[in-house]
Amino acid sequence: MSQPASLPLVASLLDAPLPPSGIVWLDAARHENRAAFAAGGLPDTRVEAWKYTALRALGQRSFAHGDAAAASRAVAASRFALPGVVGPRLVFVNGVFRADLSALDALPPGLTLQPLAQALHGDAEPLRFVLSRPIPASEAADAFVRINAASATDGVVLRVAAHAKVAAPVQLVFVGAAAEVAAPAHPAPAALARSSASELAWHLRNVIELGEGAELNLIEHHVSEGEPAQLATFVSDIDVREGARLHHTVLQNVAAGTSLVRRSSVRVHGRAHAVLHVLELGGALVRHDLQAELIGNGARFDTRGVFMPHGRQHIDTQLTIRHQALNTTSASTWRGVANDRARGVFRGAIVVAPGADGSDASLGNKNLLLSPGAEIDTKPELEIYADEVKAAHGATVGQLDERSLFYLRSRGIPLAQARALLTAAFCRAVLDDLPNEALREHLSALLVAQLPNV
Amino acid sequence: MSSSMINENSASTTLRDNADVAEALGRSYAAGFVTEIEMTGLPPGLDEDTVRQISAIKQEPEWMTEWRLEAYRHWLTMPKPDWAKLDIDPIDYQAISYYAAPKAGLKSLDEVDPALLETYEKLGIPLHERAALAGVAVDAVFDSVSVGTTFRKQLAEAGVLFCSMSEAIREYPELVRKYLGSVVPTGDNFFAALNSAVFSDGSFVFIPKGVRCPMELSTYFRINAQNTGQFERTLIVAEEGSHVSYLEGCTAPKRDENQLHAAVVELVALEKAQIKYSTVQNWYPGDENGVGGIYNFVTKRGDCRGDDSKISWTQVETGSAITWKYPSVVLRGDRSVGEFYSVALTHHCQQADTGTKMIHLGKHTKSKIVAKGISAGRSSNSYRGLVKMEKGAEGARNYTQCDSLLIGKQCGAHTFPYMEVKNPSAIVEHEATTSKISDDQMFYCRSRGISEEDAVSMIVDGFCKQVFRELPMEFAVEAKKLLEVSLEGAVG
Repeated sequence: MSQPASLPLVASLLDAPLPPSGIVWLDAARHENRAAFAAGGLPDTRVEAWKYTALRALGQRSFAHGDAAAASRAVAASRFALPGVVGPRLVFVNGVFRADLSALDALPPGLTLQPLAQALHGDAEPLRFVLSRPIPASEAADAFVRINAASATDGVVLRVAAHAKVAAPVQLVFVGAAAEVAAPAHPAPAALARSSASELAWHLRNVIELGEGAELNLIEHHVSEGEPAQLATFVSDIDVREGARLHHTVLQNVAAGTSLVRRSSVRVHGRAHAVLHVLELGGALVRHDLQAELIGNGARFDTRGVFMPHGRQHIDTQLTIRHQALNTTSASTWRGVANDRARGVFRGAIVVAPGADGSDASLGNKNLLLSPGAEIDTKPELEIYADEVKAAHGATVGQLDERSLFYLRSRGIPLAQARALLTAAFCRAVLDDLPNEALREHLSALLVAQLPNV
Repeated sequence: MSSSMINENSASTTLRDNADVAEALGRSYAAGFVTEIEMTGLPPGLDEDTVRQISAIKQEPEWMTEWRLEAYRHWLTMPKPDWAKLDIDPIDYQAISYYAAPKAGLKSLDEVDPALLETYEKLGIPLHERAALAGVAVDAVFDSVSVGTTFRKQLAEAGVLFCSMSEAIREYPELVRKYLGSVVPTGDNFFAALNSAVFSDGSFVFIPKGVRCPMELSTYFRINAQNTGQFERTLIVAEEGSHVSYLEGCTAPKRDENQLHAAVVELVALEKAQIKYSTVQNWYPGDENGVGGIYNFVTKRGDCRGDDSKISWTQVETGSAITWKYPSVVLRGDRSVGEFYSVALTHHCQQADTGTKMIHLGKHTKSKIVAKGISAGRSSNSYRGLVKMEKGAEGARNYTQCDSLLIGKQCGAHTFPYMEVKNPSAIVEHEATTSKISDDQMFYCRSRGISEEDAVSMIVDGFCKQVFRELPMEFAVEAKKLLEVSLEGAVG
């Protein structure tokens, strides 16, 4: 399962060790993870969690660490403007915090929102637990979590104080900007273009915490300026304390040359409720490993997501929900639409721990295959160790319902239009309960725009 | 061997009241007796010489010996699979004796050691004259050699070949050579490779073109001698337009050490042929603390080679300490059909990781999977299945339903379905639920004067009905009884 560190990707990511941060425990954690990444290399497809996502091609590429010119890259504000989203905003370009693009004035009371580097520079101690926590052996197969822990110097620190209700949506924007934005296309020899470090890698580490009874509406937005060929990794820890409510919406719409590997760990405490909406639209190789733990009695976690790979995209979502307390609830609805030669991968695992009586878990994953070259691999899983539970999952792969098509056609709607309508409705189902109407309409339009012109 | 056990089987067939159940079925394993007859066999150990010796004892032709050796050499290079959700103690392959057989050469059923026949009596296998009543032809495998095959004549008249694998290798080498290993290649997986190298016997069935096999065929496997692994090899070939139903039942004596059973079953269905394969597996599951029991690591695969062919697997798995078994169908022919019906029950410390694979290659192929898992005690029961729609599987269709029933707080029930779809016109559907026997159901039964134990057995029976319906009648009765015995003491 391990590969030699001589793999170009591994070697290049290890190329530039970080300078000492001046924080002893942080340097120790970075060093340890760096060594573990060097020793472990990349997982291959024999590792169960990477069965359907081969890293062979990515492993052959080299990436330069960080972008020296990130602070001056031009990014149009229209890239990340979203209707219905006006509020505090934190923007990163190629992994570097951009105060000029962010909106951090007049933060609502109870909200702390700052770049991780800044937070570490001030008082690093509150972050010590999260950042120096050893990565458990069960996650050892995930090389990207390690390289992120070894290399990320910045990210988001977001805290909502207990009982604070933040009304305005908070937007986190992660922009990948192409290096050649400044210098327009010049006819460089192919060999030179390859060796010049136009391919960039950057890493961000996010820490998000909602205090007891707090409320937050969070928008996480991944987007590109130009057509960057990049690799970005994200590791996010999200804590939702007793009785808190989190509405989290993720819009991932990066350029076709960008590979994105994210891990989000969500911990939902007693009576807290977290709702996650995810749109996975862009990217070359996209992997999102989403792990939720329901650790308090009466905790609830709902996800609704859609992935729409087209072209030669590969979008992989790994969802694991662990019910570890009494009377916990989870409901997951996921849709996949694969077109052209794209591949959609979904794993949805529900784990009910011993003693987690009263758990109620359901998961549904429906997929449409639109083209003979496309592929969908889906794997819903149940691991149940308690008997007072309700757990169900369902998954389908297929085409649009013939009867629905017939119904529309019999009412004079042409076949192509009928197909488009039904496909749009199929995807839009995951947005139904998004409370922000303007945002919902916008996201829904993005979905429709991504559909092929059938 | 305990003589008090002999009565148990006959008692179980009488109308029972609760006292009977407790006494007759008890918590004990009714088939757990050891037959004392003289055995010959190879000493424990495995190397190329062992493989050659097995081949020599069975008077096999040169190509067969080479085939085995090739499998053995490949096996040496293979890693042990560890992807299943099973906790397996390391197996010492050198401590196993790879061949055991009753001593005297046998010519007919009448010469079979009476002690041996008695064994079958106890198991309730209708061998000999009882076979006529039951209308079942039995190829009984006693440890490694097939000791008697009944109804050969009647089958021969229909043109059906039904004999032991060793005999088939001698009598019909061209057929065996053509089909053996064509569904499960020698290097397919770790246990199949081991089986290919050392398999001692098994059944061979050949149904010629257009023949509907006049009776249901049956093999009763039984592991007897201590420290022997059982490695049978079954091959069923159904030629164009033919039809066969095959039953397989398994029991083994009670012993403290674990015994390895690594069988390979290959089914080939040519154009318009149909094969129905039913298994009731009741190997010794170990005691309530998980000591002893059979390791059941079996590779079963059917190949719907011809258009419009059909292969159907039905299994009731109640025994074995550890089950690792995935009866599969390769749907190669256009419009071919694959089916998998399974009930897997685990109790005490049993572990099961079982399911199926449906590989759709041909156009308009169809498959249906119904899997019912029941976990009790401290057991772990996993369904693991793969449905694969390859590029050419135009208009293919799959429906999968997996339900798990949990009895008790210390057991686990898991579902790991894999769906891989490469054809946009294919449809795959999967549904799974996990629940326990609801208090409402229990209350309803109890309020009508049904004892708790009977209520559980009724509800479990209902839960499994969809699968039992697929079993031949005698097997359905046995399966139902087995579930009752296995669940004894699970509630209350």
